Amino acid sequence: MFRSLLLSIVTLGLLCGPACAADKIIVASDPTWPPMEFLDDQKNVIGYDPDMITAVAKEAGMEAEVRNIAWDGIFAGVAAGNYDVVASGVTITPEREKAFDFSKPYYEVRQIVVVRKGVACKSFDDLKGKSIGGQIGTTGIFVAQKDAASSQIKEYEDVGLAMQDLINNRIDAVICDSPVALYYANKKQGFTEKLSIAFKTEASESFAFVVKKGRKDLVEKLNRGIDAVRAKGIEAELMKKWLGE
Amino acid sequence: MLDDKNTAPSTTTSSASGNIIMVTDGVNIPDHREWRLINAWSLSLGGAICALLALCFIWPDPYLQVLSFLPDGLMVTFEVTVLSILCAVPLGLLTGLGRISRNSFINLAASTYVEIIRGIPLLVQIFYIYYALAKFLQVSGLTSAVIAISFCYGAYMGEVFRAGIMAIPKGQTEAARSLGFNRFQTMFFVILPQAWRTILPPVGNECIAMLKDTSLVSVMAMPDLMQRGRSFAAKTYLYFETYTIIALIYLIITLLLSKAVSIMEARLNYYDKRK
Repeated sequence: MFRSLLLSIVTLGLLCGPACAADKIIVASDPTWPPMEFLDDQKNVIGYDPDMITAVAKEAGMEAEVRNIAWDGIFAGVAAGNYDVVASGVTITPEREKAFDFSKPYYEVRQIVVVRKGVACKSFDDLKGKSIGGQIGTTGIFVAQKDAASSQIKEYEDVGLAMQDLINNRIDAVICDSPVALYYANKKQGFTEKLSIAFKTEASESFAFVVKKGRKDLVEKLNRGIDAVRAKGIEAELMKKWLGE
Repeated sequence: MLDDKNTAPSTTTSSASGNIIMVTDGVNIPDHREWRLINAWSLSLGGAICALLALCFIWPDPYLQVLSFLPDGLMVTFEVTVLSILCAVPLGLLTGLGRISRNSFINLAASTYVEIIRGIPLLVQIFYIYYALAKFLQVSGLTSAVIAISFCYGAYMGEVFRAGIMAIPKGQTEAARSLGFNRFQTMFFVILPQAWRTILPPVGNECIAMLKDTSLVSVMAMPDLMQRGRSFAAKTYLYFETYTIIALIYLIITLLLSKAVSIMEARLNYYDKRK
């Protein structure tokens, strides 16, 4: 009985698998980057990116399933084919372009340095000899490594832990994408009263969806979806909903 | 893994030659009597070193780049390991003595400490000391790492010390006491010097396991070997290459350490060998 049940489930899975895969994409998102992506009380991944990719996929005739994947391996997973798309506030960089394919950009950000309230800090020069925290493998860390070489750079598992350590006086600044910095400095309870924005970097960065190298078909579909989402005004709605713009 | 280490290193048999079969998650301490050229130890070490050299010579980009990115991380790993060993061994001795103490308060305190620490995974302890306790007192990353690791391993080592001390026949204590030694002298001049021979291999094992577990401190932004590797991989997306090198380095260090423990053990068992 059990065996036949198992057999029928496996057969069903085999029959259904390829059929479903045609119009369903698995999306990886690391929900430690509010308001771009974070967890709600029911442990669902919510935020701008999950909503955006769901809308984009829908416009391109696909269905998106968003999964919670830790940042420190999110790229290895897409390269291994564990999921189709990374929609997790990923900036296009030359190094990443070598290893992955990107959709067209869907959002512009800059890097923002956050400090404790009352601390004067106008540029990376003011942080000489001090410690800057950030999330491991994010562009904030790369910018700090390049522009603030004389500061000590501490790489955390996620940006929330870095913010916590900033409040706890263990580090002097945190660098991260502008929406995340603004969220912590202006919205997040327990943080807003203790943190303030120090400065923004000049260079802007573009968020895009990441797919495995060589999946041109998927890139094309995503680009088509992004165009449609823009044309229909869904993008503006989502920006208003999550980013208050 | 850490959390199923609750099965304390327990003494199962103790033969006349002083050999004790230990069950821990450390590496195998090579047997010093095994003098053949090809054994598990030399094969692993030779293989690891050859693989490391071959990779770096044949593909200097990226393997040599990975390797040259790591030395400062290796220093942090060693720093954490050495400091933790220096704290954990005395703590283990104290705990072991506390566990066999006749003073019921000390005994209860030591036993409770062992029970609590052994029931909490090391990763949780590290998070707890660094992030949770930061509410009340803030200690640096290095201090938190050393406190968390030495408290955790102190509990395990306490059991090792207790087992080693208990393995010494009661007649030794009785003889020393009847010769006029007090309890303190009996323990430190008669029992511990003998117990040390049975204690050393498992303690060495724990120290090696400790070195491997220092990779957990990367969660609190400590730039140790593991974190250096992770940031290199996060920057270059060369996961296979980076973690291959990291694994080989950890392997080489633990194999060398296990040999060192085995040599120390051989020296301590000098008189057994001549029998």
